[in-house]
Amino acid sequence: MTGVTSNVAREDLYGLAAEFSDTPGIFHAAEQTHAAGYKWFDCLVPFAVHGLDRAMGVKMTILPILVFFGGFTGLLAACVLQVFTNSLQFDIWAVVPLVGYQFDVSGKPFLGAAAFVPIAFEMTVLFAALTAVFGTFFLNKLPMFYHPVLKHPALARATDDRFYLVIEAKDPKFNRDDVEAFLLSLNPDSVIELEK
Amino acid sequence: MALAGLGVGGCRRWPREHIVPYAHRPEGRMPGIPEHYASCFDFGGIAQGVLVTSNDGRPTKIEGNPEHPDSRGASDAFTQAAVLDLYDPDRSRSVTYGGKPSSLAAFKEWLSMYLPEHGEGIAVISESSSSPTFHRMQRAFMRQYPQAVWAEHDPLANTNEREGLQHAFGGNWMPVHDFSKAEVIVSLDADFLGAGPMQVANTRGWASGRNPKNGTMSRMWIAESALSITGANADERQAMRPALLAQITEQLDSHFTRMGIGIQDSHHLNSEQHAWVEKMVADLKHAGKHGLVVAGASQLPITHYLAAYINEKIGAVGTTVSYRTLEGGGNTSIADVAKSMKAGDLHGVMIIGGNPAYDAPGDLDMAKAIASMRISVHLSGDANETSEVCKWHINRAHWMESWSDGRSADGTLCIAQPLIQPLFGGLSPAEFLAVLSGEETTDSHTLVRTTFDPSADRWNAPWRSAVHDGVVANTATLETPPVNRTWSGGLYKVGGTGSKLPAVVFVPSGSVWDGRLANNGWMQELPDAITKLTWDNAALLSPKTAEEYGLKQGDMVNVSVGGNSVKIVVLPVPGTADDVVVLPLGYGRTFNGHVCTGAGVNVYPLRNSKNPWVDTARWEPTGDTYPLATTQMHFGIDTIPGRGTQERLPLLYREGTLQQYKHDPDFAKHVGHTLHSLSIFDEQQFKGAKYKWGMSIDLSTCTGCNACVAACHAENNIPIVGKDQVLMGREMHWIRIDRYFAFGEDGHGGWDGNNLKSVAIQPLTCHHCENAPCEEVCPVAATVHDTDGLNVMVYNRCIGTRYCSNNCPFKVRRFNYFDFFRREPLRSTGFLQVQPDYYVKTQSGGKTLRAMQFNPDVTVRMRGVMEKCTFCTQRIQKVKIATKNAWVKKSPAQKSADPRVAIQDGSILTACQQACPAGAIVFGDLMDKNSHVSTLHDDSRSYEMLSELNIKSRLKFLARLTNPVDGGASTEGSRH
Amino acid sequence: MTTLPINETDNTHENPHVRATLVLNHSDFGSVTNTILKVNESSRPPKSWYLALAISFSLMSMLGALIGYLFFTGVGVWGNNNPVAWGYPIVNFVFWVGIGHAGTLISAILFLFRQKWRTAINRFAEAMTIFAVICAGTFPGIHVGRVWFAYWLFPIPNQMDLWPQFRSPLLWDVFAVGTYFTVSLLFWYLGMIPDLATMRDRATTRVKQIAYGIVSLGWRGSMRHWHRYERAYLLLAALATPLVLSVHSVVSFDFAVSQLPGWHSTIFPPYFVAGAIFSGFAMVMTLAIPARELWGLKDFITMRHLENMCKIILFTGSIVGYAYTMEFFIAWYSGELYESFAFINRAFGPYSWAYWIMVSCNVITPQIFWFKKARNSIVIMFTASLLVNVGMWFERFVIVITSLANDFLPSSWGMYEPSWVDILTFLGSFGLFMTFFLLFIRFLPVLAIAEIKAVMPQANPHPHGHDDGPSTVEEDE
Repeated sequence: MTGVTSNVAREDLYGLAAEFSDTPGIFHAAEQTHAAGYKWFDCLVPFAVHGLDRAMGVKMTILPILVFFGGFTGLLAACVLQVFTNSLQFDIWAVVPLVGYQFDVSGKPFLGAAAFVPIAFEMTVLFAALTAVFGTFFLNKLPMFYHPVLKHPALARATDDRFYLVIEAKDPKFNRDDVEAFLLSLNPDSVIELEK
Repeated sequence: MALAGLGVGGCRRWPREHIVPYAHRPEGRMPGIPEHYASCFDFGGIAQGVLVTSNDGRPTKIEGNPEHPDSRGASDAFTQAAVLDLYDPDRSRSVTYGGKPSSLAAFKEWLSMYLPEHGEGIAVISESSSSPTFHRMQRAFMRQYPQAVWAEHDPLANTNEREGLQHAFGGNWMPVHDFSKAEVIVSLDADFLGAGPMQVANTRGWASGRNPKNGTMSRMWIAESALSITGANADERQAMRPALLAQITEQLDSHFTRMGIGIQDSHHLNSEQHAWVEKMVADLKHAGKHGLVVAGASQLPITHYLAAYINEKIGAVGTTVSYRTLEGGGNTSIADVAKSMKAGDLHGVMIIGGNPAYDAPGDLDMAKAIASMRISVHLSGDANETSEVCKWHINRAHWMESWSDGRSADGTLCIAQPLIQPLFGGLSPAEFLAVLSGEETTDSHTLVRTTFDPSADRWNAPWRSAVHDGVVANTATLETPPVNRTWSGGLYKVGGTGSKLPAVVFVPSGSVWDGRLANNGWMQELPDAITKLTWDNAALLSPKTAEEYGLKQGDMVNVSVGGNSVKIVVLPVPGTADDVVVLPLGYGRTFNGHVCTGAGVNVYPLRNSKNPWVDTARWEPTGDTYPLATTQMHFGIDTIPGRGTQERLPLLYREGTLQQYKHDPDFAKHVGHTLHSLSIFDEQQFKGAKYKWGMSIDLSTCTGCNACVAACHAENNIPIVGKDQVLMGREMHWIRIDRYFAFGEDGHGGWDGNNLKSVAIQPLTCHHCENAPCEEVCPVAATVHDTDGLNVMVYNRCIGTRYCSNNCPFKVRRFNYFDFFRREPLRSTGFLQVQPDYYVKTQSGGKTLRAMQFNPDVTVRMRGVMEKCTFCTQRIQKVKIATKNAWVKKSPAQKSADPRVAIQDGSILTACQQACPAGAIVFGDLMDKNSHVSTLHDDSRSYEMLSELNIKSRLKFLARLTNPVDGGASTEGSRH
Repeated sequence: MTTLPINETDNTHENPHVRATLVLNHSDFGSVTNTILKVNESSRPPKSWYLALAISFSLMSMLGALIGYLFFTGVGVWGNNNPVAWGYPIVNFVFWVGIGHAGTLISAILFLFRQKWRTAINRFAEAMTIFAVICAGTFPGIHVGRVWFAYWLFPIPNQMDLWPQFRSPLLWDVFAVGTYFTVSLLFWYLGMIPDLATMRDRATTRVKQIAYGIVSLGWRGSMRHWHRYERAYLLLAALATPLVLSVHSVVSFDFAVSQLPGWHSTIFPPYFVAGAIFSGFAMVMTLAIPARELWGLKDFITMRHLENMCKIILFTGSIVGYAYTMEFFIAWYSGELYESFAFINRAFGPYSWAYWIMVSCNVITPQIFWFKKARNSIVIMFTASLLVNVGMWFERFVIVITSLANDFLPSSWGMYEPSWVDILTFLGSFGLFMTFFLLFIRFLPVLAIAEIKAVMPQANPHPHGHDDGPSTVEEDE
């Protein structure tokens, strides 16, 4: 297969994409690109191809840590809320301009820890879940409604049945001709030029 | 007004005096602080002494007058409900002629033209009254119109007793019983504990004789046809048809009086019944002067005569019974009046109060007779059935709107002062008579004072103290006349004798009495003491009889007596005599009242004037059914719930015999096996609590008379919900009286629904559990405990999840499913369920008449909030505040001596407690170890309901004690 | 044993040597996308869809009208009375919450168990969950007496400057159901983003493109995104699993924490959870069977999937049956008067009819799934799933009504009868549910396209065996 004619001005060039039609193809391409020492490259795939991230040398995300702290915050919030509103001792807190309520309920102790467990649990889960989802969005910089790869009509199939490997122009090792040659060496179905 | 301080400030009817806004606050008059005025009203010919609470000129609550010999501060349901009648939007608001509004002046003019000068052909029909002023006016009238005839008519008057005692003593007499001194009471179908003018006095007397702690424990024998309140509380009871009661009378006669009265009758006591009577006789003989025989209204004159005779024989006269002569009365009977009306000898009738067109016996056909009169005048509070057939209707002033007087059972003179300017004008009966007989002064104040002492002016000191106290001390007129030994009235015969037909027995309604309270919502919704039926009357049959005729609750039958018949719904009631149909009177009013319309069936037409109480009847099922709104579900004994009820009854309602009690004083504590419930947490101990409110209810003395329920209704602004809502189980009573029937074994492990062993009557308020289950489940903390241990309900915090009600083991919480104060009381209210006619917009004028009764100290709850008994927290607060104010003024030394601000025991009375004539309800501070309630909580009979739930009720019951003959050997099994 | 030849259109054979295929008749990813999105991309959906929507929508509007009537007049329009202060509303609440359990369960627990067949049903099961929880949430909301103050249930300082009472199970409910709804929604949405992106990229009109563009947040299938995305999905699954179990436990606390005979029972939490899964799967089945017919999804929701669901229904149904028996045993063994009465009364008292409907639907019906024939017959499955739905509604009816109707004091016993408003409101809630569901299958991806592709054999980057690390875990299916 021959190279693609360059019709994008150098400064407008976002990068080059190689198209593959099956998972082994993209997998090996990713492995070699990583081996070749490219940093700014990505794979666009319709579903999470197993092990591809490791093949690309993607580092483990910090999301789990965020989620842990999210959950912990929830737990703390729940305990503070319940203890403060249901079993706060006035005399201790007299200085603080906050009000707590000691409802004398069924003769139960004001600090009915057992009764506070369900809500504590629920709020832990709630906060953790929120962190997990919005954490991903944050780390993935989503929503992002404009992106060069979304612009090129061919790459639309990246969400359907095609697999693309994109090497970005901002990669220090980027040199149009070398990259093109490199991509062709991965024998893709085609190589596509991406405009910024 | 200056007299306010003396408590007679309510006398707002000095001539030309009107309510005006204060320019200056009169001395001793504090706006917002309610005041109490003594007064009285006439009920069934006996003055009921009351103390009326007036909030800024609005009478809002009635209590018994502590000075009054019958009341002693207690009251019955009717008295409690009377205040609502004052604000009944259906009260007539003007004089009418032929239904068109007219004026008193026009009436007077009309009189002068048409009333014959000697009263020829004029009859007066008056309701029974004990008012001396009324009797004075009656004499004045008769002087003016000597040829007029006068008949006294009261559908529930005990005419047989009058006649019997006439034979015994000659003249007009009534017996006055003292049950407190009676050790053995024999009642022949006499429901002396049931509703009636003497209920309060009788109940108090009876209850005081039922306390084994101070050695008094009477035994009550009763033979009756219907299950009455008295029967439910009797120690020995036999249900039998009226004819058999006659046999008992004969047996008594043969033992005591030996009149040798003969009876031709096909009904005879069976051996068991005979033996029972023998035991009764023995017991009576043994009791001697502490025995007492009481005969009921249904009994024929001879029985009353014999009762008097026997009482004299055993020496009871003067101890347990005395007599009093009665003033007034007429010179003829209503039956004769009706006869001569039909005969055309009469052309005019003046009806003073009452409602003869509705409640006269059917055979008199009164309505038509009255309608045929040329002159017909009716003095009445509401334009009722009688007014409708009369030409003239004179609107009557409510007793709280005019001066009057009366005599208590023992003859003590009572003075009634008005509480409020007449809302719609109107005349009192005495005033009306004064107008008729053309007196020059016709205002009730002058009339009454003149009767009291012609020389007295309004400043006369005895008069003023009489007005202030409501009674005049030492005016009782009890006597002990000797019985005339020869019976002058023919041979003994009883209604239904000989006939194989089922007997029909008429009883007064415990809710609406003779029908006069039919338009009173509280009374319509008051569950009957025995049947728990509201808004209707029903034909009561024994389960066995119902089964024989293939009838069940809700089936309609056509009951016919003589020529007349009515269609009425059937309600089987255990304890009713077989082959007897019991018909409560007073329902089926036809005048267009907001409340009474459509409630029940009028059975007066079935009565005959010869013996209005007992007769023989036929009935056949009509095939159709009718819904009955009972506040307690009825489950057949053969159903799972029915059996379940019998199983748990001994745990919930603990009773024992006197013998058991003597042998094991705290038998009640050994019922069931309550495990020691330990908390998994240390319970709140109400830190800093100054008081510990608690209540105790004595099941021995509670008769189930409903006074507490009505009192609670009046005190706490409880709405009435109407029949359709009661049918759905949404009644709002804060205190309810549970009634269970305990049946005997059927031989093979089950229970026999035809063998009634005892009737359990158990009042229930909120238990104010220290570990209240309702509280923990409320998500918004709308019900919590205060430090005094009250389980408080915060209305404005409640969002109405109803979870608290679900978790309340006693189900004493009540939910406002609608804005009940914006709904029509009885009639089903259509799609939008809101029809504020009765409460908010009444007919012409008087915009929020009903609302004037509201107790300003109690929130009127809106739709969607939960409510329940508060132990009358408003009353607690009132006393607390007063006590604390007093305490603050004390010297430091005194303060340190009493750091708890002790509230004097008995200074706080809950509404139910204050009303209770038996003194069965006691409320107070458990912190004070000597308080009455504390001692009762420590009593050996005291037990806590459902204690196994470890809820720590602040309401404890005293187990019921009964005193059956020979220690209840016969009934032991069923009781436990 | 000899290996059976695998028939490409019947994947229900159990053969340990060969992994059953989950997707039939599809060899490439593109055709998968096409088949699944046919529904959404077709210019007009089948007539039956319009008909169904018309019916559901009118029911939903009726619900709205009834709620208006309720607010205007008061909860008295319902049949609730004094002993039975909770009637239909709470019965329906528990019923719907129960239904709402299958979705998240499938997404979370089956995900953790690497049950790959879940991919075919998880999307609309999750959708079902969300709509069911919406229905559930409606009822407690409208059943309070003063609905305009219902917000006092939330821990916000209101005008009375008061806070909720955290010892009340009802408040636990608010948090549990609230959390469950939020998490399920997030889970659903997160899973849908790649598929929304697919729809965006295949959009034929500008409007669709913009709409799907916005909701897909500019997803471009970057593997670096997939990396975090999968992590997040795994975490959510791990969080949702205990959540699912907690929610119905908390709902059961509404009863178990009270002391009413028949409610006050420690067996409730597990018993309720099992019941919830039971009813949830039944509802998934009720929806899946017609959907796969109409929408031509037979290749993805295969007989094997349905069979698996049958097995789960059989299993949970048996747990429920065990719970019923155990309740009786405990009632008898405790020797507690009120407790034992409550259960005798349940089975033989005035409400026995409801009890026996419950038992026959929930305990007896599922037993038919012991037979493979039944597990492979669409008709039997469908009928059974419907019966289970009915039975589970009656279970809640029995628990709520019979216990309240006859509690401690016979004097306060009373029977409960629903009013016409009760019944129509319940019907209306189905309208609400179905309307949402029909709109969902029209406008959103019915199946998890990306996930299905991932479980196809073609998705394996190493077709010739050699593999690394955890994926071996996935091989044994």
